[in-house]
Formats: sequence, structure tokens, C-alpha cells
Amino acid sequence: MKTRQTKRKSVADIHEMSTPDAMIDMHGVVKKFKNAAGEFTVLKGIDLTINRGEFVSIVGKSGSGKSTLLNMITGIDHPTEGRVVIGGTDIYTNVTESQRSKWRGRNLGIVFQFFQLLPMLTLLENVMLSMDYADMYDFDERPARAMEMLKLVGLEKFANKLPALVSTGQQQLAAIARALACDPPLLVADEPTGNLDTKSANTIIDLFENLARSGKTVLMVTHDPSLTSRTTRNIIIADGELINETIAKALPWLRHRHMMEFTKLAEEWVYEPKATIISRDEHVEYFFMIRKGEVEVVLQDRKQNETVISRLKPGEFFGDIELMRGGKSIANVRAAADAPVELLTIKREDFKRVMDQSPLTAEAVGKIVQQRLDEHRAADSRANRPFFSLFRRKQS
Amino acid sequence: MKPRWRKVLHDLIDNIGRTLLVVFSIAVGVFSIGVIAGAYQIISNDMSVSYSANNPSNIEFRMTNFDENVLTSIHNQRGVKDAEGRRVFNMRVRVPGTEKWTTLDMVAFESFEKNAINLLTPIEGAVEPGKRQVLLEKGALDHLDVGVGGLLEFQLPDGSTKTMPVAGIVQDTAAGAADFLASPFGYITMDTLQYMGQPKLYNRVYITVADDGDDILHIREVGGVVKDKLEKSGNVILRTRFSLTHEHPLASTVNAILGILLALGILIVFLSSSLIANTLNALLNQHLRHIGVIKLVGGQRKQVFRMYITLIMAFGVIALAIAVPFGGIGAYALAEFIAVKLNFNLLGYRIVPMAFFVQIAVGLFVPLVAGLAPVINGSRITVLRALSGDLAEEKVQIKDGEKRLSWFDWMQVKVTHLLALRGIHIPRPFVISLRNTFRRKSRLMLTLFTLTMGGAIFISVFNVRVTLHDYINQIGKYFRADVTLDFDQPYRLREIENAVMSVDGVTHVEGWQFLSGELLDDHENVIENITLLSPPADSTLVQPILIEGRWMRPDDVRKMAVSEGLRKTYPGLKAGDYIKMRVDGRDEIWQVIGLFKFVDQEGLLGYTPFEYVSEMNNLANRSFSYRVVTESHERAYQDAKAEELDKYLRDKGFKVRVAQAGSASLDTAVESLDILVVFLLIMAILTAIVGSMGLAGTMGMNVLERTREIGITRAIGADDRARIRTVIAEGVVIGLISFALAIVLSVPFTYGLSYIVSSAVFQTPIAVVFTYLGYAIWLGLVLALSTVASILPARNAARLTIREVLAYE
Amino acid sequence: MPASRLGQSKNNLQAGSPPLIELRNVVKVYSTAAGDFSALKGINMQIGAGEFVGIVGKSGAGKSTLLNMITGVDTLTSGEVIVRSNGSSVSVHKMSEDEIALWRGKTLGVVFQSFQLLPMLTLVENITLPMDLVGNFNPRQSRERALELLRLVEIEEHADKLPAFISGGQQQRVAIARALANDPPVLVADEPTGSLDSVTADHIFEVFEHLVTDQGKTIVMVTHDQSLMPRFSRAMRIVDGELDTAYEPEPQSSGRQMK
Repeated sequence: MKTRQTKRKSVADIHEMSTPDAMIDMHGVVKKFKNAAGEFTVLKGIDLTINRGEFVSIVGKSGSGKSTLLNMITGIDHPTEGRVVIGGTDIYTNVTESQRSKWRGRNLGIVFQFFQLLPMLTLLENVMLSMDYADMYDFDERPARAMEMLKLVGLEKFANKLPALVSTGQQQLAAIARALACDPPLLVADEPTGNLDTKSANTIIDLFENLARSGKTVLMVTHDPSLTSRTTRNIIIADGELINETIAKALPWLRHRHMMEFTKLAEEWVYEPKATIISRDEHVEYFFMIRKGEVEVVLQDRKQNETVISRLKPGEFFGDIELMRGGKSIANVRAAADAPVELLTIKREDFKRVMDQSPLTAEAVGKIVQQRLDEHRAADSRANRPFFSLFRRKQS
Repeated sequence: MKPRWRKVLHDLIDNIGRTLLVVFSIAVGVFSIGVIAGAYQIISNDMSVSYSANNPSNIEFRMTNFDENVLTSIHNQRGVKDAEGRRVFNMRVRVPGTEKWTTLDMVAFESFEKNAINLLTPIEGAVEPGKRQVLLEKGALDHLDVGVGGLLEFQLPDGSTKTMPVAGIVQDTAAGAADFLASPFGYITMDTLQYMGQPKLYNRVYITVADDGDDILHIREVGGVVKDKLEKSGNVILRTRFSLTHEHPLASTVNAILGILLALGILIVFLSSSLIANTLNALLNQHLRHIGVIKLVGGQRKQVFRMYITLIMAFGVIALAIAVPFGGIGAYALAEFIAVKLNFNLLGYRIVPMAFFVQIAVGLFVPLVAGLAPVINGSRITVLRALSGDLAEEKVQIKDGEKRLSWFDWMQVKVTHLLALRGIHIPRPFVISLRNTFRRKSRLMLTLFTLTMGGAIFISVFNVRVTLHDYINQIGKYFRADVTLDFDQPYRLREIENAVMSVDGVTHVEGWQFLSGELLDDHENVIENITLLSPPADSTLVQPILIEGRWMRPDDVRKMAVSEGLRKTYPGLKAGDYIKMRVDGRDEIWQVIGLFKFVDQEGLLGYTPFEYVSEMNNLANRSFSYRVVTESHERAYQDAKAEELDKYLRDKGFKVRVAQAGSASLDTAVESLDILVVFLLIMAILTAIVGSMGLAGTMGMNVLERTREIGITRAIGADDRARIRTVIAEGVVIGLISFALAIVLSVPFTYGLSYIVSSAVFQTPIAVVFTYLGYAIWLGLVLALSTVASILPARNAARLTIREVLAYE
Repeated sequence: MPASRLGQSKNNLQAGSPPLIELRNVVKVYSTAAGDFSALKGINMQIGAGEFVGIVGKSGAGKSTLLNMITGVDTLTSGEVIVRSNGSSVSVHKMSEDEIALWRGKTLGVVFQSFQLLPMLTLVENITLPMDLVGNFNPRQSRERALELLRLVEIEEHADKLPAFISGGQQQRVAIARALANDPPVLVADEPTGSLDSVTADHIFEVFEHLVTDQGKTIVMVTHDQSLMPRFSRAMRIVDGELDTAYEPEPQSSGRQMK
């Protein structure tokens, strides 16, 4: 008997409610811009929790609302609806913009794509400036602290140069030093490497990784895929909504529009450990993506001996071949024994429709199908059927 | 309308604040130049017309008494067109029931109907006084609170009083025209003289010449002939005065003053043009993106150029529409003010074509010139630069493959660094203010220029004011008495001393005498009149500023110290030179023992010891005139003592003619100088306004262009107060720099302005005095102005949200 | 996706008629603080009439610079850009700036990512402005033509509004209409959908497609949206200032399209 336990909830709401560990906690954040042409909803109800020590990348096309999302977190703009709690402070309830500036100075380091160092101040002065505004550290301590920050990013030699005299990579490092000057728990970076060569970009990402490891929360907007792979978490925003992170992980080739479609269509199912998800010869009506926990693909020979031919991890999918080529399942799929499994499921017809619209994804999925078939043909000599219908792909 | 002109129209009306700033800066210049040019034109025309309309005399003789026959003989002289005799004498007068006595110069006419020279203009009431009636010159009403039909109480020399009604008010534009400080006039007929205790004889004759009344040589010639004739027939001429028919005696002074104002007006135009240049520069900067789009879609440089020149012309036209009418009104108001002060009449309100055209030229030409460079630069910008938004000035120069800062930036950083090494850390927000100040150097220059000029003029005006006052005080050193006593008959020194010293508060009294002399040339022709004052040689009441030679001694005989002004008549005059002078009809040779500095106003001044003059006048140990020193030198105290002495001496039977406070006439002089100072101050304030507008505009533009910086500082934690502080600090830094420059510049300005003013008023350059007052006021003002000028932009800066700011990217 | 309909332009080229736009060894070197930087390293390119050319590349690869060479907005260091239209052949960079402006007004319509409409002019006025500046049409014709163009981009009901009163997508439509004002044969677009949301971007792209198919315009578009690649008649990639000759866009109809 299948013990499918359906938990229907908005799948965009991917994390649990505010935990004490939460650095950023956004609830139902809506942002509308009004102009004479009408009202535009740029953020359509964002719920997002980011914990301390996470290194998160945010991805989205221009116009998707990612800058607005960032502005909500930095307190640069204010939401039309919803609540934003950063480090336990609700930064929009009864707070003026001026007070928010002061708060930001002490609690948040911001790094911009275009560095935004003040051109008339030397690097050292730029770093000291944020301490001046935040009124952090004794006045006489600030030069030493600023120097320390510049050392951290390896710029001590250039401390007394104006920004125009150093390279763009060095400017960005100085901007990071400035962002760190007041020792904020949260660092927010908007395309920090967008204007830098690869080498400088690497230096900066290394720096971010170290910072995250040392307990700072780092949030970075980027559209460089080579950077998103280095973050611990990747959030995609499209047309003002967050895309389910599992879907994004499982089907990275999908256009954001389609990911969004799936995000809205997906249902979340939870299986107890060892519960069967798909039985052999069953018609598969869903496309499955693993959000949490693992599933085992089990083959039974005629003697009813079970062979676990693969274990699928979060971010992997199954059920694709059946959906794309039609047919019944040829293996059992069940939840792993150690923990319950959370799955995202998409109905067969929805999946097919989207695949039809996204040839690139269909092709990629097709390639994976082929790859899995080949792998398994070679790996499982005992297979008595020409086709093996469950596939896995390596995680990227 | 074509879309490009529509754009120009929108540029004009969409940003009202900016349009007003430009329009107002143009209008200020146009207005001030309009006021001054208009007033100059009106005054120089009307002053002469109004003066000559009353047929002013060309020759005036003050003589001993003479009769109708003498007058007829003058009339019959060749070259004399007309001659009119009058009797002029002093009289104390008051409105019955009041305490205050006023000295009137009473003028008696033979016939008002036949009056042909120095015509009176009726203003109110009778044109002609009946017997025992008086007409008042309208200036007298400033001193006497009386109207037509009111009574006046006249005090005769014997102390008795007579009462006469005021029959009418008249204006006399000729008599006293030469003298700011003349006594007010009252007019009676000869028939009334007896009633006033005066002989029915003339003591003045006014002559017009037959031929050219504007030829001073001709006038002098006729005057010489008449004088010879009169003196040969035994008449004594005490004083001679020549004047032109069409030139108001004060015309040159007034013109000089207007000239100063005109110079200041031109300066304001200059300053406002730098303000315009700044604003247009910023406007073009803001419009570069538009220009880029226009060029992108096919616009050529000349089309862009025409669009913006049209915009500038539109600013000019609007400014003219505002400034021309106000300028016209202002011009007339200024002219009217001067006319009232100098007692002449304007021909009525009118538009002065010259001023009108000057205004139009200024209103169109100045913005054109000021805007030409920005417009040319703007129309030259490439599409690429315009649209890439890459407009920040490149701070870095590449030299020999190395990045270099401009020396100025390098120096700024270096200085801060050196200070930091010595442990002096400037708070970074203030470093931003400081370095921002020098970010846009040309804009800073123009702002500093306007503000500094405004400040320097402002400070200079205060210095000039003090200089003038100081000079008046210096003059006061020649007349230091607290109370001046004049009697109708001479009294013995001892007698007066005893009487006067017994009055409380009197510490000293001394007798003075006077001598009138006529300076003669080699042919015994009178060149100038000179008044010789004769205090005791050791008098402490005269503290001369000797520039050459020595002061008088008791044993000096026919020796005098004279005012420096005499050098005008005798170029190269030195101490020890001899001068030919006619005294009481006798030609004598006098030696000049010293020259001193003095105002050259009416006639010349000399000093010769009382010891000699009293003997010569047969008045040894006696005098008509006394100088009294009191304990306090306050004006009010002097007035009180004068009154007390007057009453006391009259009660004792002395025939007092006048008892008045010593500083009375000086005060009047100071008053009229203050009017001049007020004008200068108005101009200074105008320049200060232009300067502060420039500063406000600059700060506004700076803030507009620094939205990125504002966004960044906000993003890294600057709250509103921090933002506002940074902007205001920048404004104050600019203010202080301009103050420092103004201190320096005020020195030559003070000298220049003092020179011009004193040359105009006193006909001699005077010693310049500086006062901290102007500096202090300007410091306060410039700090207040720069704060106020920065507050609005600063508030706007604080109001910008970061989102808006980052949207500028 | 039906895109092969645009193929005929390639045939034109092959048939030997001279290309509409021709870049000959175009080099652009910028002197920057960091030293000389070659943005374009000798680009040779031919674009035939009726082509819909997409140029892709990373930011900094030189694709906008390339566009600026064609529009004459930026100067080149060496090489030549020749544009043939209305029977005349023009070497863009041999003209003075004013001549380029006038020529550009007549020959090239330019569309930017950030619309670049003049905020104080109504939509109609924004479109009549190029006609006014170039002087091809009298005022009455201008307005009628502008309205017609607005109709073409389906926004005529807002004709007398100011740009601030319409959405970004609508503004971009106006910008396209403005680019068409003087009926230029060539349209050049720099990331025209870059700041629009995906649905609007799609609509705008369709407008461009229609201009090629229905109006016979030649369009050169720079984008970094890879997903648009299949929809151009020809796509080129620029890498570090050079054309990537090996570049073949992914086949537009992917092999395994499912039904």
C-alpha cells in the first residue's frame, strides 16, 4: 500500500518559518511601483529565509525583480506589503529612511557592481567613512581598523591612493573592506564581479567563501553560472517570484518562465522511510524531483531478490523516461530507509507541455535519458530487458 | 509647433526653479543697470533743466548795503542782461508755543511780480507775500511744523519778537543749490524789512549775463567789469560767486556719485553673468543625454546650438519683461530721491530710451555671452559620450604610462595624509566636503568670484562709511567747540568769559574773529573768496592736520595757514609763499605759513591768529563770536547748553544772535554723507544677493550632480543629519574661502571707492580708515548665507532615496 | 519555431548583390588608465538587405562597440564601415560628425536598452522629432506618419501622452517607432529587451520580427539572451573583440521536439 502523504502548500515557501538561526526572514513581501501608466507589481509575495553562515547567490534576468529584492533586504527601498526581518530587526516597521541608513551602516555591508567608492577619498578614507557614519569604534581607533581591513583584502600598500589610481579589481576589494569595516553580520553584494576579470573575480569569491565560513552571511546577486556553483545555495527570481530551488536544481536548462510555471504547478509529497513511491508496471503520471531525503531505485528479479541499482539524492529527478516516451515503470522506487523523502511532483500533461515549449530542456533531458540508458546497459549485465527505465544524472 | 521648439519650451517651463534662478540672475543685472542708467539720464537732464528753468543768476555778489541806484547802474552795465537786488539776513524763528529756534535765511524782494532771476516756484498758497507776511521755502518745513496760514515768531536782534503769518510755500531751486548745508529760506517783500528791524536796502545782487550763460570765462569777465565799477563807486563786495545757467552747482558731485553707482551696476551685471554661466553650464550638463538623443536621431550641431541659444534668449526675454519695468520705476525713484535731496524737480515719469536699450542689450547679450561656451561645448558633445553617461571629469591623467593625479588632487590627498601621520585625523565626512568643494573648479571659481566681489564691496562700503565719518571728525577738529555763540555786537572777552563760565558745565570759552578775503591774481582780479578764521593762536579748539609748514603763532602778522584746496588756485603753493589778497577793500600781501588738510566745499579756509585780526579790526580784546567748551561733548548736552547759554545771556542783556551746538553743522554733513553710504550699501547688498544666489545655485547643482555620492553614503550608513552636515559644510567652506579672498580684495576696493567718493564729495582724496565692522558683518552674513544657500539643496539631498539615486546609474 | 522564413537574405548575399552593411577590418583601440585596450580586433562582416542579424557576446566582448561603429556614434581606430542604401554607398567614418548625424537620421534607426525618449515630449512628438531634424517631411505629414508608426507598434491610443505615463514595454515600442521615423532601411538595436520582463520582451522581439518580414527592414541586434538566438536569420558571436568564426547557433528546431 502506498502511504502517500500529500502536503499541499505553496512550494515557493521552501523553508520553515523563522528559526533563531535566520539572518534574513522575509514574509509575503510585495513591492508595487506606481506610475501614471498604472501599477506594476515587481515582487509578488516573496517568502525567504536565509540562515547565518549561508553563502547564497541570487539569480534573475534584468527586470525579474532581483535588484528590488536586494533593495528590500538592504533597506534601500521599502516593501508595499510584508515584513522583512534582518538579524531579528524588523527594518520597515516604524523606521524612517534616515534611521535605516544608520542601521544599515552598522549591520550590513553592501558591495556594488560598480564598487561605488567615493572618488575624492583615498581607499583608507573610504573604509573609515563607513565607521564615521555608523559611529563605530573610537575615532582614533578607526585608522588602524581600516588598515586592518585593507590588509585583509591585501590592499595595505594602496591605502593612501585615490580609487582612480588602482585597478577595478582593487577597487572592488576596497569596497569589500569598506563593507566589512563595521563588522556587520551580513554582506550583500550586487553583481560584485560583473565588471571584473576572471582572476579578480576569483579572489573576491574566495574572500566571500572565507567570510561565510567564518560565520558571516553572504548574499550575492550574479548571473555568472561559474559563481553560482560555488555558493551554498542558489535562489532564482523570475518576474517577481522565487523559483522553487529544487526545480531550479533539477532542471537548470529550463527558461525561468517555465521554472516558474513548474513552481506553481508542483505539489509536495512526503513519503515515510521505505514507503514505495512507484511500483513496477504502474503507469507513471508524474515527474518527480527530490527536495529532501533520498530515494532508492530497486529492481526485483524473478526470485524477488532486490537489487538497489541507484540512490537518487536531493536535486535529482525520476519518472522522466516514462513521461517522455510513454509506458509503465519497470522498477520500484521507494523512499530510503533512513529518513522521510520530500518530493515535488508535476503532472504528466504539464510536464509534457513545458518540454514541448522548451526544446533546449527536452534535449538536455533526452541526453540524460540516453546517457542513463547507456550507463545502465553496461553496468547491469543482469538486466533482462533492453530498456532500463529509471535514470539518474549526476548533479552538476 | 515643431517638436524641437516644443522641447525648448518644456525646458523653459518644466523646471521652474531653475528657470527662475537663471531669469532672476539676469534680471538682477538688468534691473540694477536699468535703475542706474535711467537715474543717471533723468538726473543729468532734469537737474539742469529744472535748475535753468528758474533762470539762475550767473553772478552773485554779497555786498555791503546798497540802494536802488546802484542796482540800476549794474543793470546798465554792458553784458548784463538782468540784475536783481535782494536783502538777505539771518533770523531766528519758531512756531509760537514751541521751544526750538530755527535760523532762517530771510530774503527780501523788491517785487515778486518782477522777479526774473532765481525764480521761485509756487507750491502752495500765495505766490507773493503781502506786507508782514512770509513765504517759506519748502525745505524750511523740515525744520518748522507750520502750514500756510500758520504763524511764525521771529526774534529780532534786540531780543523782541515779531509774528508773521505764512502766506505760502515756494520752492527755490537756485538759492542754496550749491550748498548741501545751507539754512532754509523765508521770503518777504522789502516793505516788511522795517518790521523786521532791517534797513530797506539790498545787500546782494543777482546778475544774469546777456550772452552765453554757460561760458564761465564770459561770466567772469562781465563779473569783473561790474565789480570794478561797483568798487570804484565805493561799494564793498564781500563775496563773489559765478555759476552757469545750465549746470546745477552740484551736478559734478551728483554725477560722480552716479558714476560710482554705475560702476557697481556694471559689476553686478558682471557677477550675474558668472552666475548665469554657472547655471547654464549645469543645465547643459543635465541635458547632455537629450543632446545625445537629438544627435542620434539626426540632429546636427547647429540645430542643437540654435535650440539652446533660443532657450537662453528666452531666459533673457523673460528677465527683461520683469526687470525693465522695475528698472524704470527704480530709476525714477532713485532720481526722485536725489531730486528731493538737492531741491530740484523732475520733468515727470518717463521711459529713458537709452536706459531701455542698455537694459535690452544687457538682458540679451550678457546671457548669450555667458551661455555661449556651455552651449558650444554641449552641442559639440558626441552621441557616445552623451549617452554613455561617462561625463565625470577624468581625474587621472596618464603620463609615461603611469596614472597621475592632477597636482591639486594630489596635494589634497598629501596634506590629509601628512596631517594623519601627525595624528591629526579629519573626520571623513568633512574630508568629503572639503574635496567636493574643489571638484568643479571652474564652477567654484565663478561662485567664489561673485561671492568674493559681493563681500569685498560690502566690506569696502563699511570702510568707506567709516572713512567719511572719520574725515568729518577730522574736519571737526577745526571746529571743536561745543557751543558756538554769535552776538549782534562785540563784547569784551573778559565780560563774556565771566558770564559764560558761570553757567554750569562750561569749562572754557574763547573769542574768535573772522576775516573775509578775496584772493587776487597779478592783475588784481578776484579769483576766489577765502574765509579766515581767527581763534587765539594757542587755541585748543583747532587741531589742524598740517601737511606742510607750521601752525600760526600769536605774533604772526599777515600770515596765515590755509587749506590744501588753495593749491587748486595756486598750483605748487608752498609754505612761505606770498599771496595777494584783498581784505576789507585793501590789497595786501599775506604769507602762507602752512598748509593743512580740509574739506574744500564752499570757498577756502585759512587761519590767522586772533591776536592780529582783533587789532586789525579794531576789536582788541573784544569779539562778536565765541567758542564754548563744555564738560560733555555729546550732541544732546551741547544742544541743552546752547539753549541754556542763550537764555542766560539774553537775560543778562547780551544781544545773542545765535547759540548753537558745535556739532550741528557737522551732523548735517554726516547725514548727507550717510545718504550716499546708503546707496552704496544698497548696491553692496545687491551684489551680496547675486553672490549668495550664485552660491545657492552652485550648491543646488553640486548636490544634483552628486546623487551618486549621496546614494553611496546612505548605503554605507549616513543618516539625514550626516548628509545635511556634509552639504552645509561644503557651502560654509566656500563661504569662508570667499571671505578670506574678500578680506584681501576689500583693501584695494576700499581705497578705490574712498578715492572716488571723496574726490566727488570733498574734491580731495582722504585718508582711508578700516573698520572691523564690515568684516564682522560680512563674516556673519556669509556664514548665514552659505548655510541658508546649502540648506535647501541639503534637504533635497537628504530626501533622495537610495533607490532614486541608484536609478541615476 | 519558424525562423527559416528569414533565410532568403542569405541567398541575396550569395547571389552577389553588394551587402547593405560592410565592415572591413574594423579596429577600435581605447586608451584607458590601464593602457591601450583593443575593443575590436579587426572585424570583417557583411550584412545583406533583409537580414535579421543577432550579435551575442559577454559584456565587454565588444558587441556594443561594434554597433557604435555601424551607427557612427563612435570613431574607429582603423578599417572601414560602408553602408549602402538608397543607391548610394557611404563610408561612415569619412564623414564629419554633422554629416553622420544627418545620414544616421535618414539611414539608421537606433533602439537602446534604456529607450532614450525625451521625457518632455509626447510620444507623437518624440517620433516627429527625427523628421523635424532631418527635414524629410513637413509638419502635417510628420504627425500623420508618426501616428501611423504608433499604429504599427500598436500604441496609437497613447499618442499624446508623455513617456513617463506609459510602461517600459510601451516606451520601447515608441522608441522603435521613432527609429522608423525617417523610414531608414536599417534598424540597429542594443539589448532592446534587456530591461523588460520576459513577456514584454517577447512582444518587443515580435515587433522586430514583423519589421523584417513585413517591412523588409534590415536589423542588427545585440543581445546576451542566448534563447533568442534561434530567432535571428543569422547569429554571430563576438569574443574579446573578434568574431567567433566557429560559432554556430544551436539549431533552432531542436532535434527531439516532442509532441
